[in-house]
Amino acid sequence: MPRWTRWGLLALGLIVLGTAPSWIDDSYWIGVLILGYLYGVFASSWDFMSGQTGRENFGHAMFVGGGAYTAAFLNTKYGVSPWWSLPAGGGVAVVIGLVIGLPTLRLRGPYFALATLAGATILQRLTIILWEQTGGEEGISDLMPLVGSPVAFYYLALGFMLVVATILVLLARSPWGLLLRSIRGDEAAAQAAGVNTTLHKIGALLVSAFFAGMGGAFYAHYQLQVGPTLFSITVSITVVIMSYVGGIGSVYGALGGAFVLTLMTEQLRRVGEYRLLFYTLVLIAILFFLPRGLIAPLWRRLRNGGPAS
Amino acid sequence: MKLRNPSFARSGYYLLVLVLALASGEQATLADGKPIRIGIATALQLQVGRDTIDAAQLAIDEINAAGGVLGRKLEFVAADETEVPETGINAIKKLTTSDKVDVLVGGYTSGVTLAQLPHISAAKTLYLGIGAASPAITAKVKQDYENYKYIFRVNPLNSKWLATFLVDYLVNLVAKEQGFKKIAIVGESSKWVQDLVPVLKGGVRDSGVDVTLTELFDVNTSDFSPLFSKVRASGAQYLVVALSHASSDVFVKQWSDAQVPLPIGGIDVKSQDGDFFTRVGGKALSETTQIGFMRVPLSPVTVPFWDAFVKRFGRKPVYTAGGAYDAIKVYAASVTRAKTTQADAVIKELEKTDMPVTSGRLVFDENHDVKYGPGFVMPMMVQWQQNGERAVVWPKDKATGKFILPLWIKK
Amino acid sequence: MVIEIVIYAAVSSAIYAMLAVGFTLIFGVARVLNLSHGTFYALGAYFTYTYNGLLKLPLFVAALLAIATVAAFGVAIERVMVRPLRHSGLAVLMITLAMSLLIEQVLFLTFGSETQNVPSLVSDKVTVFDVDISGQRLLAFGVSVVLISGLWLFIQRTRLGNAILAVSQDAEGAQYMGININRVFASVMGLSAALAAAAGVLAAPFSKVEPGMGLLPMTKAFSIVILGGLGSIRGSLLAAIVLGFSETLVGYLISSSLTELVSLVVILLVLILRPAGLFGKHVAF
Repeated sequence: MPRWTRWGLLALGLIVLGTAPSWIDDSYWIGVLILGYLYGVFASSWDFMSGQTGRENFGHAMFVGGGAYTAAFLNTKYGVSPWWSLPAGGGVAVVIGLVIGLPTLRLRGPYFALATLAGATILQRLTIILWEQTGGEEGISDLMPLVGSPVAFYYLALGFMLVVATILVLLARSPWGLLLRSIRGDEAAAQAAGVNTTLHKIGALLVSAFFAGMGGAFYAHYQLQVGPTLFSITVSITVVIMSYVGGIGSVYGALGGAFVLTLMTEQLRRVGEYRLLFYTLVLIAILFFLPRGLIAPLWRRLRNGGPAS
Repeated sequence: MKLRNPSFARSGYYLLVLVLALASGEQATLADGKPIRIGIATALQLQVGRDTIDAAQLAIDEINAAGGVLGRKLEFVAADETEVPETGINAIKKLTTSDKVDVLVGGYTSGVTLAQLPHISAAKTLYLGIGAASPAITAKVKQDYENYKYIFRVNPLNSKWLATFLVDYLVNLVAKEQGFKKIAIVGESSKWVQDLVPVLKGGVRDSGVDVTLTELFDVNTSDFSPLFSKVRASGAQYLVVALSHASSDVFVKQWSDAQVPLPIGGIDVKSQDGDFFTRVGGKALSETTQIGFMRVPLSPVTVPFWDAFVKRFGRKPVYTAGGAYDAIKVYAASVTRAKTTQADAVIKELEKTDMPVTSGRLVFDENHDVKYGPGFVMPMMVQWQQNGERAVVWPKDKATGKFILPLWIKK
Repeated sequence: MVIEIVIYAAVSSAIYAMLAVGFTLIFGVARVLNLSHGTFYALGAYFTYTYNGLLKLPLFVAALLAIATVAAFGVAIERVMVRPLRHSGLAVLMITLAMSLLIEQVLFLTFGSETQNVPSLVSDKVTVFDVDISGQRLLAFGVSVVLISGLWLFIQRTRLGNAILAVSQDAEGAQYMGININRVFASVMGLSAALAAAAGVLAAPFSKVEPGMGLLPMTKAFSIVILGGLGSIRGSLLAAIVLGFSETLVGYLISSSLTELVSLVVILLVLILRPAGLFGKHVAF
């Protein structure tokens, strides 16, 4: 199969998505696609850090929720325009990343994973305990939307996802990305070669946090509401599963994973309460049968379609 | 293309099929205009949700059997809003955009409803609330009529009125009659409680009842021993509770097991379930709770509805059942008068509503909220008795039993 | 008030200790962080409800049966899910986490999200040193102490127990000595699951029996094990007491809503300040 074909397929896909509002007249599905794009941002930002460096973050929700709540506070308590929420949300997420990452990324073993798990849970509990400021279980409502119409939101979300994805993929392809992947390969060897692995791990975490936080703020100004579920393990696990489906470490695979899984769970809405069950079954299946994922290997397959591969 | 790994190719093939299947998607089948579609958003997993659905079904069947509304049959679509605002928003979006319903009925958690409001307003769809009590839900109707005129509350009374009634019970029965002049107030930290407590405190203080402690705890709390300890230390004689989403089951069991020397009462939504007593192994004996409707003739409609519900579904209904039944009847009546399902016209007729409902006589105030007062809608206090049944203990003119104390408290 | 705090704290500590000891045992022996440990706790409660509430078996029998069932279940999970993935610590973390979510969903779909009622084994109120406490809580305390002491004796005195000890010190060396590693792993998993289930069974009558009930105890077990040092039973016991008392103190003196936060903050602080915990083997940097 000639090399350009897979790019052709990609371009076709983009055109289809780009014109979606014209041929989908059910705004519900537009909403689903928007959610898929936002999850694409969450998943690819996760994959950039955890997929590349091999240090798995089980609490990615803390960045998403952190960004979302920042947006909620700025907007409802101080009347700040939603557009400022995006970088602010990213900034707050970076701070959270520093607090969690600095002490734990220097350690080997499962400590980073456990700390991220604990971090997200702590933030979730805090939003409930400090209910007088955060609205508790019921959260904060009445945020202002970023833009007026669903169609405008659609293009904004699509654009947002494409920009973030491009930045992340470019970073992954850069020499820095190579360095990060060397940490996954063999951290001790990388350290022996003079790489300051701790510094780079933290750097990757902060990049990951920034985009996830921005995505969280975007989400807040779309749903117009934030609540403690944004910090839940469900969000963290969903992001991980999407990246696994996409192919850990590829970054772009996570986008595909997010897209596929979001659409799939919408189709399962009829059996809505089985959704999480389905997710976990998918994760288990992938861990056993497809540890390299689905999307990225497929993409590479298309490239290597020639007989001599 | 030579494939080295056939099983991998298979998975690629499946993926392709999957993507195509998803892409064909689910284009919504537009309601062809004939049946009137009611969208029900409720917490399907809970008793309140199940009763909402069943009561709605009952109302719809009755109306359809009588010829429908404007010659059209009624049908409903349900969506699970759970107790989580985010899911609630998605439920509303699905009902309004995908299922294209003509009217929304439902609600339970005030926080969820509040989160849904902007989306309901954007969809310009009527919403008849039947389970959430926060006054904030209807406050916007007057403030921003153009955008929020679609919101109505059929049930229950909002927390402010619930508090007012509770004050009456505490001052007259608890303090004057039983002699418990010091009370402690505990509740979950949900919005409806936050709205209720200040009214409660203000109301009792004016009548010589002393509030020795007020504490709100987070909904997930499952160990109440420190709380009971604090309550006792504060010198309170009666424990007022405000519980809806919190674990009343555990609360009551722990209260009973430790034989905390204070009677409890207040608003305990889970205790309104007909099977609550048996669920906690009888440990709810002597707990009093406010309730919006029971099998007493609050209006000509109440007892027939109760009996029909029990006959068809084999269990006693909770307050959302009455609310759902009423909402559909009220909507049907308004549409009939308006001669159209077009929102603005129906709103005008809804505002003129004055009809008997399961909880009394329904009239909307200027905030599209349930009007409170004698002759309109008023709740009752019921208490679990020895035989596992509930007796109305307040107001006196509706009482069906005597007020009792917990077994371990001697007067 | 002081005596009340001490008694309630002791009861909490005992239940936490049962959870923590099992968790740290698995890590110490098999180097596995079993994130589905909390679900064993939940399953203990739910099986008791099923055997007693639904199948109408006598409560005592139901309780024992529940513990046995969960122990067997734990062994099965180890065999089917954990063993194939043992080469990668993170894969094991993922699979146990996935299992815990799966089980929680199954419980939710089977029983619904509302609280179930498990009756108490002991219904009376007991007064100890002038403090009213439910008999069930005291029972929980007593049984925990017995079970943990039993475990301690088992490890010190029996052959299997010694084998477990050997594997925890040096897995390869133990294999060279002829110890069947797989059997040791399976037994440890079974023991650990049994302890967690026992905690669930004992606490069920006075706790919220709902599908997500394992999450908070799991985080507490975590917290204790990290504070005490991963792999050290002594550390876990000490840390359980510390956590039990801290939580009760916070609950009584400050506010009951902050109790859950204590365990989470402990995790973060320990990881930041002294990752090895009190007695843990020291951690590579």
